[in-house]
Amino acid sequence: MAQARMGRIKTENRRSFYIFLAPWIAGFLAFQLAPIGWGLATSLTNRMAFSPTWKFIGLKNYQSVLTNPDVLYAFMITFVYAFLHTSLAILTGLVIALLLERKVPGRGVFRTILYFPYMLPLVAVGWIFKIFLDRDTGFLNEVLVRLGLIKEAMPWLQTYPLQSILALAFWQAGWSLVIFLGGLATVPNELYEVATIDGAGYGRRLLHITLPLLSPFIFFQFVASMIYAMQTFIQPYLMSPKSRRGENLFLETPPRETFFVMAQAYQEVITKHRFAYGISMLWTLFAVVLLITVIFIRLGGFVVYTEVEEKR
Amino acid sequence: MPMLQSQRMRLVTAVKLVVLILLVLIFFLPLVSMIVTSLKTLEELFKIPPVVFPRNPQWVNYETAWTLVRFGHFLVNSIIITGFYTIPCIFGSCLAGYAFSRFRVRERNGVFMVVLSTMMIPQMVTIIPLYIMISKIGLADKQWLWILFGLQGTPFLIFLFRQYFSTIPISFEESARLDGAGRFRIFFAIMFPLVQTAVIVAGIFAFQWSWADYLQPVLFLKGEKVTLAVKLAIGYTDQKENVLHNVGMAGLLYYTLPIIIVFFSLQRRFIAGLLTGGLKG
Repeated sequence: MAQARMGRIKTENRRSFYIFLAPWIAGFLAFQLAPIGWGLATSLTNRMAFSPTWKFIGLKNYQSVLTNPDVLYAFMITFVYAFLHTSLAILTGLVIALLLERKVPGRGVFRTILYFPYMLPLVAVGWIFKIFLDRDTGFLNEVLVRLGLIKEAMPWLQTYPLQSILALAFWQAGWSLVIFLGGLATVPNELYEVATIDGAGYGRRLLHITLPLLSPFIFFQFVASMIYAMQTFIQPYLMSPKSRRGENLFLETPPRETFFVMAQAYQEVITKHRFAYGISMLWTLFAVVLLITVIFIRLGGFVVYTEVEEKR
Repeated sequence: MPMLQSQRMRLVTAVKLVVLILLVLIFFLPLVSMIVTSLKTLEELFKIPPVVFPRNPQWVNYETAWTLVRFGHFLVNSIIITGFYTIPCIFGSCLAGYAFSRFRVRERNGVFMVVLSTMMIPQMVTIIPLYIMISKIGLADKQWLWILFGLQGTPFLIFLFRQYFSTIPISFEESARLDGAGRFRIFFAIMFPLVQTAVIVAGIFAFQWSWADYLQPVLFLKGEKVTLAVKLAIGYTDQKENVLHNVGMAGLLYYTLPIIIVFFSLQRRFIAGLLTGGLKG
């Protein structure tokens, strides 16, 4: 009797579990698994947007992706950009989090204000920085000239397209900031007290207590931000130094230094209608992202502090 | 010695404050530039030497920003898309988070790992093929698609709700179950109201995300149905195709205003909710 009842509860549990999870499962199948499968299959064909027939061509698309110097260059700059962007955003977030760690007057206000830019929509952020960095209309030139740091106004967007997009990174620091503030709150206060009694200064406490205990958070943030930044797509178009024509943002391609993989794949699929080729670019990027994630997680074992030593 | 200690503390605090204020200034410089630009005339934009602050603030730019592109129309589009996404997204994430925190099923952790691992799938790998598939079956350009996109929930918010639900003692539900309440009654009448903070955090995230999203609207929506993000990304131009930076900045200010209002009116609970929810467990 008791066993039958237990069994009934188990079945009931499982049924409820899947009923509550049904929206997620349906979305996962329709919006993730199906496009991934279909995309993978399509990338092995020579399909174009308007061609009525297509055939299986195996890995030829991947071959031409991997032998195209422009695409390879795009992969390189995408990685370089993602790495620099992530490092900048995390470093900014970390510095702010450390500044706000202890009692500082107006802590809550600073936290809110410095988090705020992260909430702004990317389209707005791209335009704001385009104007900010502009040679004629930009405030940056104005400030730098007044401070005597540069002699005359610089066309930042034209001269340094990649760095201009990287400038957005410090506005993205809010994400890291909240994670690190949360992380800092988990550091037990006694550790600091003991270290202070033992005569450790701020630098040593930072190096031997704060950063090691924060390292899992930094690591998590690094991986997540890399995955995200590798997909940068709209910023190169928004901040393209070339003058725009008409109603289409995608008519002019961004300069070579900022023509990231995602921006190129979008051109291939949407503008040039080369479905299969464009999707195989996306898949190659996906593979690279996965590879980077795996490498980082492997490396992470060495640099991240864990309570359980044997796990390393 | 104690004197010295407290003096040093005060010095450290002062230095911290100075650095923080400098950071705030640097952070807000682009925003100041945005607002000032929105108030200049087109001539003032390109004058040499540059005009820092406009002599006569051109409030008319804000009028032009509204009328030049039928701003109201695209605003309604954005509101529809955001509403269609946000409410189902809170609901879907909440349901899934509840499932993961409450039902003891053997495969629970395995399924949860699948949910988390979808965070590693770059959006572009799914969204561009999805767009092609959906337009093949003739469903592109439909705003209700966003309801379906939302219902799935997002891994981060599912995680957040799971954390919040696991802080609620199980005895709350047990007594209700003894009284004969069903799973759904318990969920809606007892559990859902208890995770209000998480609902606010999830709501802000989903709102911010869908309001800001560019990729999905630019792919799935056409012409008249596009959102503000898509419309404003092009920028404002006059008949001669000159880009009107000043009017553009005014338009973007309208566009960001809802985010600013929502964020600053709810920020206390939002950031606190993030800090507590993201870390437990």
